Amino acid sequence: MEKKKIKENELEYDFIILGAGVTGLSAAMYGARLGLKSLVLGASHGSELPVGGVITTTDIVENYPGFIKLTGTELSDKIRDHALSYDLVKIKEEKAESVEKKKDSFVVKTKKDVYDSKTILFATGTKWKKLDVKGSKEFENKGVAYCALCDAVLFKGKTVALVGGSDSAAKDALVLAEHVKKVYIIYRGEQIHPEPINMARVKAAKNIEIINKTNITEIKGDKSVKSIVLDREFNGKNELEVQGVFVAIGHIPLSDLAKSLGVKINTKGEIIMDHKTSETNVEGIYAAGDVADKPFKQAITGVAEGCTAAYSAFEYITKKEVRST
Amino acid sequence: MEGKVTLYGSETCNWCTRTRAFLKEHKVKFNDVDVGRNEKKAMEMIKKSGQQGIPVIEIGKEIVIGFNEEKLKKALKIK
Repeated sequence: MEKKKIKENELEYDFIILGAGVTGLSAAMYGARLGLKSLVLGASHGSELPVGGVITTTDIVENYPGFIKLTGTELSDKIRDHALSYDLVKIKEEKAESVEKKKDSFVVKTKKDVYDSKTILFATGTKWKKLDVKGSKEFENKGVAYCALCDAVLFKGKTVALVGGSDSAAKDALVLAEHVKKVYIIYRGEQIHPEPINMARVKAAKNIEIINKTNITEIKGDKSVKSIVLDREFNGKNELEVQGVFVAIGHIPLSDLAKSLGVKINTKGEIIMDHKTSETNVEGIYAAGDVADKPFKQAITGVAEGCTAAYSAFEYITKKEVRST
Repeated sequence: MEGKVTLYGSETCNWCTRTRAFLKEHKVKFNDVDVGRNEKKAMEMIKKSGQQGIPVIEIGKEIVIGFNEEKLKKALKIK
C-alpha cells in the first residue's frame, strides 16, 4: 500500500479507532507502520477518562514488559508519543456520536466533524460500575469516590472502606493505605482475589483489614459520609464508621455504538471478536481491549489485540483494493 | 476573565493534569494548589466546593467541579 501524507484530507481515513486508551493508541501506531492513515478519537466514549484511558488511574504498573516500574500515565504518555511519531496518526479529543455503514466505508459523526473510514476499531473500553445502595449517589464526591489515585489525598488520616475484591480493588486499597489511617476492604465473595503479589502486599499492610462475605447496604452521613451499614455483623456491629467509600466493583463495556452497527455482543455487554484476528461479525469492524470478550484484560493484552486489529484492517483493505483493480 | 483563578488538584490526578494544560494553553494565570501536599488547602477546597473530589477550579466567586471544558470557557470568558 502506498504511504500517504495525512495532510491530504483531514476527514478521510483508512482506520478510525474509537477510544484513546493504550489499546487504541497502539493500534494507531501499528496501523501507521502498515501504511494506514489512522485517526484515534478520544478522550471519552462514556468512560469519562482522558487520553491514555483507564490505566491513567493506576498508580504503579509493574507488568508491562520493558518497564520494571512506572506510573499508568507515564506508560500511556509513552505509547501516545510513539503513535504520534508517525505522520499517518492523528489523535483528536472528540467523541463519536454515531457510526453508520456506507457502501464501502463507515461514516463517523462527532460534534465537530464527519469522518469517513474504510475500517473501524472499537477500543472504547469500559466505565466504572456504580455502587447502587442507599446513599451512594447522594454522597458521590462527598465521600463516595471511584478513583483512589485521584482522591486518596483528600482522606489523609481518615478511615475509609474500599468495595471490591479484584486485583484493581487491591491496588486501590494499597494506594489508599499510603494516605489514610485505615482501609477496610469490603468484599461480597468468599475471599478477595488479586494477583498473588498484590495479595501479599495487602496482607503485609498494617492499616488494611479485609471483610469478606459482606455487602454494604447503606451509606450514611450529613454533609459527607459518616458510616456504612453492613449486611452482616463485623466486630459485633452492623454499622462501621468511615469517612470515605471507594468503589472498585468492576466495569461496564462501552459497546452501544457497536451494537447499533449489528456487531454481536455477549451477555456481559462485551463485543464478541475473533480471538485470533480481532475481527467482529461485521466486515471491516474490529474490537480490542477491555470492551472485547477476552477473559484476561491487561494493558499488554489490549495492546496486542489493538495491533492484531490493525493488521487485520490492513489485510482487509489490501484485499479489497486488489479486488477492485 | 473574572477574578483570581485557583486550581485545587494533585500530581497524580490525570484530570488535574488536563485542566492544568487547558489553563496554560489559554494563557490563564492560575494558582496551582497541590491538595496532596497541603492539608489546610485541601480543607479549604472541601469547604468552598462541598466536594471531596479533584480537580476543583475557583474562578473569582465561581467554582467549577472537575475538568469541564465548556464550563471553564464560560467562566473564563474564552471563546
